[in-house]
Amino acid sequence: MFKKKIEPLKASEPLKEAEIDMNDPSLFGFQRADDSASEHIAAPKYSYWGSVFRRFFSNKIAVLMLLISLTMVLFAFIQPMISHYDHMVAPNINNSSMHFLKPFTKGFIFGTDNRGNSLFDSLWSGTKNSLIVALSATFFTEFVGIVVGMFWGFSKRMDAIMIEVYNVLSNIPTTLIAMILVYALGGGFKQLIFALCVTTWIGTAYFIRVQVMIIRDREYNLASQCLGTPLWKIILNNILPYLISIIITSVSRDVPAFISYEVALSYMGVGLSERYASLGKLIQQYSPYMLTEPYLFWIPVFASAVISVSLYLVGQALADASDPRTHMI
Amino acid sequence: MEKDNREVLLEVKNLEVTFNNSRKNKGFRAVKNANFQIYKGETFGLVGESGSGKTTIGRSIMRLNPISDGEIWFEGKRIDGKISKEDRRDVIRNIQMIFQDPAASLNERATIDYCVSEGLYNFHLYKDEADRERKVDEALESVGLLPEHKSRYPHEFSGGQRQRIGIARAMIMEPKFIIADEPISALDVSIRAQVLNLMNKFKEERGLTYMFIAHDLSVVRYFADRIAVIHNGRIVEVAPTDVLFKYPLHPYTLSLLQAVPMPDPQIEKAKELVVYDESKRDLSGEKPILQPIRPGHLVFANDREMKEYEEKLSEMEKDIL
Repeated sequence: MFKKKIEPLKASEPLKEAEIDMNDPSLFGFQRADDSASEHIAAPKYSYWGSVFRRFFSNKIAVLMLLISLTMVLFAFIQPMISHYDHMVAPNINNSSMHFLKPFTKGFIFGTDNRGNSLFDSLWSGTKNSLIVALSATFFTEFVGIVVGMFWGFSKRMDAIMIEVYNVLSNIPTTLIAMILVYALGGGFKQLIFALCVTTWIGTAYFIRVQVMIIRDREYNLASQCLGTPLWKIILNNILPYLISIIITSVSRDVPAFISYEVALSYMGVGLSERYASLGKLIQQYSPYMLTEPYLFWIPVFASAVISVSLYLVGQALADASDPRTHMI
Repeated sequence: MEKDNREVLLEVKNLEVTFNNSRKNKGFRAVKNANFQIYKGETFGLVGESGSGKTTIGRSIMRLNPISDGEIWFEGKRIDGKISKEDRRDVIRNIQMIFQDPAASLNERATIDYCVSEGLYNFHLYKDEADRERKVDEALESVGLLPEHKSRYPHEFSGGQRQRIGIARAMIMEPKFIIADEPISALDVSIRAQVLNLMNKFKEERGLTYMFIAHDLSVVRYFADRIAVIHNGRIVEVAPTDVLFKYPLHPYTLSLLQAVPMPDPQIEKAKELVVYDESKRDLSGEKPILQPIRPGHLVFANDREMKEYEEKLSEMEKDIL
């Protein structure tokens, strides 16, 4: 290393050769090349999830939507615990002065309905039930769809059978199957979730299968095979991490889709049984008052729209953020 | 003969690989009746143009491609087709592969630590976590990388560094035989020598045997001990490197040799390229087979062609003497 620091010459001073003695031995010495220095990576350490969250939180709309959907979800799960709302109980049903109160009268934030029940209480209870149905249906659909889709994409023998199953199932109208199943099984939570999953898992599985087939034959998977990695480990370590962004996209489509699916089924009268409030049930129940008492109809519709849209946008932003191609700045 | 006193590590007998993609035709025969032996401690070069089946042979030995006919023997054990779990384990531990494209052969979503220790995990080749980390550190250092790279992801590395990670991943298994599938063709010219030197270093240190797949003869010339030239899935000539360069016989070998650029612009400009065209050759007579013309020098020919090659060879030998 240079021990002496040579002061840079100022422009006004003419360069005098005498000042730097080129023969001064103390200025010269042998240097050893350091190979490891050239291997050093100067870039800061990359962390996948760190980059995902940085990317997500830099999206202002996504953060706003996350706050909205979190508030809705928290309200939906906490408010019914306080109000103890029961859809079968209507204490004011014979007290007509309590019917059809406009919002913000007598302490009813969203007013009361045709039975004298607080719309605020029934709305959150309904949102809770709708969310439970949508979230559990999404969980089971995605879980079954991903597991089946992974092996479907890998195994040629399974592909030959599954593609026929897919062709048959996807050509039957799903709403019809769901309706028949709910009719046959009854209108409980489990039955509705089952009916929703049975009709949708194959679509998710097919979607995953196609994605798996795209990356299945990439060279790093061959390399893993050469190292003796078993199939399940290849799926877990080589395929699944590549599909995170795609799975999040799929989930973010499924949750709002199941909310509207539930609304549609309940509206047709084949959703949850009369015992439970749900967004679909409320919309169906209040639709006769659309013109006379519009708030009764529009508030549940608006709630269902807000929660679907905010969850969808959050999911899309998260899917974008989890794609590492967006991490390079 | 010289080769008899050397230990055969890998033997390929009448190997045929067929790709079936429709039921109507018989499928595409990527490898036709390939025969060769690889001796312990040597570097065997397999040279041919793209699509000639050289990668397919490599992958068949690795059991990645099913073979349609023939046998593959490794250390006196048959390793093709259905084999026991222990044998498969042995094959994977003893035969490793270095891939062509360093950008595609590493899992982008795994850290270097996982990439390098993947084989260790699969066979549990370590005593405890500290032992595994020590092995990974050693493997990285042996290819000139730093232990601090363990927590990095593949996309942060250059092509040459990635290829060295690929080599470290193969070497950590302590294999006896390495199939290097065009390990330098995707690299910068400036990095190629570095990777080749690294491979030579391992060969000397550990007594490895290589099968080096390449598409141009200039690289294998300095790296391989023996060379097999493959054309259209058929091995057309096998010879020790110096013999092949001194006495090339098969017309395809000649055209490959001619394709090697000369570092002299005048020769290079005056050179008239001969493109090998099988349809223009006189293929009359009986079916050719791969047969020895001199000890250790095999050429794909029938009796008539053998006579021609014999004449040519004795003439060349006279010229050189």
